Amino acid sequence: MSAICKVRSILDDSFINNLPLTEVFVDSITCPKNISKVVLELNLLFPLPELIHLKRVKSKEVLLFPSQNIVKEEVHKILQERGFPIDLLKNEIRKVEVAAVPPLVRSQYLQCHSIWPCNFHSDKYIEKLYTNTLFSDEELKIKMKFMNITEDIGKFSKNNNGVLIVDPKSNSVVAVGYDRSNDGPCRHAVMVAIDNVSKSQRGGCWTNDEYFTVDQCNSNCKDIPSDILALLRGKYTDIKFSDSALIPSERVTPYLCTGYDVFSTREPCIMCAMALIHSRAKRVFYGKSSENGGLGTLCKIHTVKNLNHHYEVFIVENIEEKKDS
Amino acid sequence: MLNKVIHSDILQKKRKLDSSKEESTSPTCINGNIKTNYFSEYEQKYMEKAFELANEALQSNEVPVGCIFVYEDNIIAIGRNMVNETRNATRHAEMCCIDQVNDFCKKENLNFIAVFKETFVYVTVEPCIMCAAALYDLKVKSIIYGCKNDRFGGETVFNVADVLKPVTTRKGGYRADDAMNLLKLFYQGVNPSAPSSKLKRKFKETT
Repeated sequence: MSAICKVRSILDDSFINNLPLTEVFVDSITCPKNISKVVLELNLLFPLPELIHLKRVKSKEVLLFPSQNIVKEEVHKILQERGFPIDLLKNEIRKVEVAAVPPLVRSQYLQCHSIWPCNFHSDKYIEKLYTNTLFSDEELKIKMKFMNITEDIGKFSKNNNGVLIVDPKSNSVVAVGYDRSNDGPCRHAVMVAIDNVSKSQRGGCWTNDEYFTVDQCNSNCKDIPSDILALLRGKYTDIKFSDSALIPSERVTPYLCTGYDVFSTREPCIMCAMALIHSRAKRVFYGKSSENGGLGTLCKIHTVKNLNHHYEVFIVENIEEKKDS
Repeated sequence: MLNKVIHSDILQKKRKLDSSKEESTSPTCINGNIKTNYFSEYEQKYMEKAFELANEALQSNEVPVGCIFVYEDNIIAIGRNMVNETRNATRHAEMCCIDQVNDFCKKENLNFIAVFKETFVYVTVEPCIMCAAALYDLKVKSIIYGCKNDRFGGETVFNVADVLKPVTTRKGGYRADDAMNLLKLFYQGVNPSAPSSKLKRKFKETT
């Protein structure tokens, strides 16, 4: 398989958008050797807790305070009233736009640093997510393989929607699901896969006896339909299926889908996206955006701040697929 | 199975507490600002039924949320939270009801799309983001609920209606304090068989 796969993070807008700007007053320093004195006085008389990410000085310019509802002409008076030694400044008051919030990623830092000097503490993990360099080539190959399996599972449904739930610690398949909305309006592939994970944990709500063989009821792979299992085992000989299903008593099952990766042919809808939050999935990978998608298209459910769990979301793009076929 | 709802001691005790509370505050107020007469007699009757189911959930060590679906003035689905029993975090009361409506339609040979469009949903807690999205997609006629859901609410935490633009009408606030107190009982792990004096103290501390 020569297809190159690209995995792109779906991040919160606050990482992607340009930083919001706010207006501040600046002035020039009369004598460069007084810089430290000016900064000291300003920090004492006009502390800027909300703009702590900004440096106070840009070569000979100094940041005074936010311009909110204050006219330029009054600035000098305000400085004087507070007891600032105004002869240290040239009284060339100007309004300047600066970043209102701290930069989250390097590209935002570069954008805001070019306007006014800025502090930045890079979060290496977020930077990797942002630059899509989190996974090694080896890991990308595995993700691509799981994505191919997911597409094969989708072929069992009328709309090609398939879902695969993987334990990334052992790279083994825990459960699969494909769209069964003929049996019920909410039985989207994600919902079916979640229920199949429950079945692997001796739970579950939807009966799917019709697609399990008698043999399988006694086997370890209770959570993968028999026809799919036969196909997958034949095609992907190097992948373990339901390996986590050792002897039930010895097996450590997580709480719901904790720690599991979810692969989906299409971007999950809002219902499915929230179902995966409830189920505490670790990461969600999807192949194509959906017009009713809740992980990038209509909204980004995984970035809603007030929820008690968040997972990471990636879109898997198969770049050279067309050339190959 | 589910329709054998038994009034539990706890609900009765709580009602006694509430009746004493109501005397001291304005009788038309629930949760401070929503009037009880905002709910019709029918709506109150169905909401009471949903409360019985919420209580059954609490008795079964499930998050106490109860729900019923009403179509042409008939109850066609009754559900309560079943997450722990099924080890499936998506088995909320509303999702259980949706499956029952599907079964009902198959049995009665009705088109489920048409049935959902004329269905009223009564639920003790504001539907979560998942359930709200499911109910909006099914175009149910109306959702009537008890208290807000500040953990997962499909309006409170993230307003699903902003993106899905549903035809479904929504209103909440029916016995909101009672619905919330049921949730508090569950999350505090209060022993339901504790003597009422202890229960009263707990309520005072949390409200």
